[in-house]
Amino acid sequence: MAEFSAEVYQNEFLPDGGTDVNAIVTMSCTGAGEAGRSGGGEAGEIIIVDTSGSMGRTKLEAAKIAAAAAVDQILDGTWFAVVAGSHQAYLAFPAARAGAGMVKMDPSTRFAAQQAIARFQADGGTAMGTWLVLAARLFDSMPMLTQRHAILLTDGENHNETPEGLDRAIAHVTGKFQCDCRGVGVDWQVAEVRRIAQALLGTVDIIPQPEQMAQVFAELMQQAMGRGVADAQLRVWSPQGAQVMFVRQVSPTVEDLTNRRSEVNPLTGGYPTGSWGDESRDYHVGVRLGAKAIGQEQLAARVQLVVGDAVVAQGLVKAKWSNDDTLTTRINPEVAHYTGQTELAEAIQEGLAAKAVGDDATATTKLGRAVQLAAATGNEEATTRLRKVVDIQDVENGTVRLKRAVDRADEMALDTASTKTTRIKG
Amino acid sequence: MTIPASGPAAPQPPTTAPGASDGAGPSCPNCGAEVGPGDSFCEACGTELSPTATPPAAPSDGSAGGLESPITVSRSLRAMAVEAQQTAPVGRPCLNCGGLVGADGYCETCGTKAPSERDHYTETPAQWVAAVCDRGIRHHRNEDATAVAAHSDPGSRAVLVVCDGVSTSLDSDVASLAAARAARDSLFLAQPAGLGTPTSRAGAIARSVEAAAAAANAAVVANTAADSDNAASCTFAAAVIEGDLVVFGNVGDSRVYWVPDLDQPEAAAELSLDDSVAQARIAAGVPREEAENGPQAHAIMKWLGRDSPDFVPRTGAVTLASSGWLLVCSDGLWNYVSEATALQRLIGQLDADRSAPLHLAQALVQWANQQGGKDNISVALARHEVGVHGARPVDHHDTRRS
Repeated sequence: MAEFSAEVYQNEFLPDGGTDVNAIVTMSCTGAGEAGRSGGGEAGEIIIVDTSGSMGRTKLEAAKIAAAAAVDQILDGTWFAVVAGSHQAYLAFPAARAGAGMVKMDPSTRFAAQQAIARFQADGGTAMGTWLVLAARLFDSMPMLTQRHAILLTDGENHNETPEGLDRAIAHVTGKFQCDCRGVGVDWQVAEVRRIAQALLGTVDIIPQPEQMAQVFAELMQQAMGRGVADAQLRVWSPQGAQVMFVRQVSPTVEDLTNRRSEVNPLTGGYPTGSWGDESRDYHVGVRLGAKAIGQEQLAARVQLVVGDAVVAQGLVKAKWSNDDTLTTRINPEVAHYTGQTELAEAIQEGLAAKAVGDDATATTKLGRAVQLAAATGNEEATTRLRKVVDIQDVENGTVRLKRAVDRADEMALDTASTKTTRIKG
Repeated sequence: MTIPASGPAAPQPPTTAPGASDGAGPSCPNCGAEVGPGDSFCEACGTELSPTATPPAAPSDGSAGGLESPITVSRSLRAMAVEAQQTAPVGRPCLNCGGLVGADGYCETCGTKAPSERDHYTETPAQWVAAVCDRGIRHHRNEDATAVAAHSDPGSRAVLVVCDGVSTSLDSDVASLAAARAARDSLFLAQPAGLGTPTSRAGAIARSVEAAAAAANAAVVANTAADSDNAASCTFAAAVIEGDLVVFGNVGDSRVYWVPDLDQPEAAAELSLDDSVAQARIAAGVPREEAENGPQAHAIMKWLGRDSPDFVPRTGAVTLASSGWLLVCSDGLWNYVSEATALQRLIGQLDADRSAPLHLAQALVQWANQQGGKDNISVALARHEVGVHGARPVDHHDTRRS
C-alpha cells in the first residue's frame, strides 16, 4: 500500500497587522507499487509518434526504435495503443474501427504492435491537436481505466493547425489523460509543446539527437509504469474570509496551479496532480488572512493530498501574531529558496522570449537576473545551461552579455529545463 | 505573571511525573465521556486531558520494569500528539465563530485554534457556583488552575480554589492543577463544625483551609521531578462559603473578593492579603497603583512547592450581610481591576444574570482578554443571596481575621 506524508516549512509568526502567510508543503509517497497493479484500477498507455514528412528517414527510423523500446517497457496486463500523427492522426495499433480502441499487453500484442510500428512512413504535415483528440477518444473507449498516460513525440512546428485549434484540442482533452511530451531536433517550438505538457500534467524536454530517442522513451515508460497511485488531488482549505493568493508546485518543476482550482466546497479548492510513484513534490501556498491580535493563533491553510475520497496526507499552515521581531522577521529558508527558483524560471523564459523577438536589452536583463538567481539558489544545472547562452561577467550583480553564436539545441534545453528546480541543500 | 521573590533557577530539560490526586473517576470535561486517570486524550472526542495519574511507562530495555521507569512526558511531546491525532470525531463548537472544530484542533470555518482542555476550561458543580480558567492571550500555556465544588442547594456550601503556577518554574501547569484539585477535595470532604459556636466553627474551617494548603503543597511536590533544580511552584487562594459565613485563605498573590451587588448596603472588599512585594510596599505607605505597577510588583514572598519556606496561608472569616458574589481569582483578572470597588463597578457594568455565575465568570475572563490578556486568567464565583442559606443551618458570628 502506498503511504503518504506531508511536511510543512514556514515561518508562522506574523507581525502586528501582518496578513500574508507563505509555506512550502512537501508531499511524499512511498510504496506506490506499479501502474495498474496496486488495486487502484487498470492502467492505459498510448504512444504518440510524429510521422510527418519532416521526420525524414533518419529521425523516423530512430522514432520507430524509440516507440518499440517504449512498448517493451509496458507491463503485461496494461491496456495500450500506438498513434501515428501527421496533419491527421492514425490508430496504428490495435487495428480497431469501433468499440475498444486499446488492447491488453501480452507477448503477442507486443509483437504485433512492434510490427505495426515498423510500417510507419514519413508523410504529411503536423496537427498535434488531432493526435491528442484521437488519444482522448481511445481512452474514452476504455471507461474502466483509472490511470491514463501518453507519451508524445514531435519534431516540428504545428503547421497544419491554428494556435486556436490546438488550444481547443488541449481544452477538450484536459483531465482525460496525462501526457509527457518530447521534441526531437531543433525545429519544434518549446512554448507550443509546453502548453500541451502543462495542461496534461506532463513534462517537456528536448531530445537533441535522434539516436538518444530510444533511451529517453524507455525511461519515460519505465517511470510511467512506476506510478502505482493512479490519481491524486491536492486540496487547500483556507478560513472563511481568507484569500488563497497562489498554489504552485515548486519541485521537481515549477507549475502554477492557482487557476486550476475546482471547488470542493466554498472553503476548499482541489488541484489536479495526476499519478504518483515513489516521490516527493513540493508545493508553495500563499494565503492572505485578516490580521488578528498579538498572541492569537489560527490555521491559515490545511493542505491535503486526496486519493479517491480519502485524505492520505495533511499539512497544517499556521499563523501566530507576535510582537517579537526576532520571530516575525525570520525568513524561512525553504520559502525563500523556492521563491527564488520560481523567479528563476520566469526570468529564463522571459529572457529567451525577448531574445527570440530581437529585444536584446530585455533579454540581457532577464538572463542576467537568471544567472544571479541560479547562483543564489544553488541551481548549478541552470547555471551550466545559462553559460551556453550568455557570457557571465559578474554573477553577483547578474551582469551578462548575450553570446553571439548559440547552439539552438542549447537554447531550447535552457528553455525546457527552466521549470526544473533544485531542492534546498540541507 | 507570578514570579518568586527568590532568584529564579536556571532552565533545565523538562521532566514531569504527572500524578495529581483526583478523588472521583475522571470524565472528559469537553464531552463527558469516561476517561482513564492516566489518559492524555479523551478517547471519544480527542480533547487533550491533564493526566491525573502516572501512565504506565514502556519498559525501555524490554524488561517488565515499567512502573519503576522514570516518566518523561514533556509538553512538546504532548503537543505533537495533538497534531498527530487525526481520527477523533471532533464536533465541539469553535469559541470564535461557532463552527465545528476539526480533528486537527482548528475551526473548520474560521481556522481559529481551539484551546486545549488545559488552556481553557469551565466548571459548574452547581447552578450557583462556577469557574473559568483561561490561558489568556500572551502566554503560551495555562499555568493557572481552578477547582471548585458545591452542594446543589443554592447558598448551602461551596469551595472555591485558585492556584497560579509560577511561570519561571518547570511544569507549574501540571503542579497548579494538581494543587487546586487536592485543596478542593480536602476542603470539600472536611466539614468541620467546631464546638458549635460561630467563632469556633469559623476557626475550625480556617484550620481546614490550612490543611488544604498543606495538601496542595504535597500535590505540587509530588508533581516535581526528583532531580528538578527549578521546582514547580504556585500560589493558593481558597474560600469556603457556608450560608453567610465565608472562610478564606491565601498564599501568594491570588485573591479572594467579596463583591456585593451595587444596590446593596455593604461595601466591596478584598478579603485576602497578597504575599507580594507590592503588598509589602502598600503596607509601607506606597499608593496601591504605584506599588502594583512598580518594580518586582508581582514577585511573591510565599508560594507552594518543594522550595517553599512557608506555605501556611493567612486565613480569615467574614459574615455576609448582602447579596452578591464571592470571587476567587488570579492576577490575570485583578491586574486590570485591582480595587474591590472597581471590580464591583465592572461586575455591575457587565450586568450579569444573578442566577448564572458561569456567564459572569466567562464575561470577566473575556473582559480581561479584551484588556490584553497578558496573563493566565482564573475566575471562580459563588452567588450569595441574603436569606438563602440552603440546607445547612448557619449561625451568625463576627470574626474579620483569625
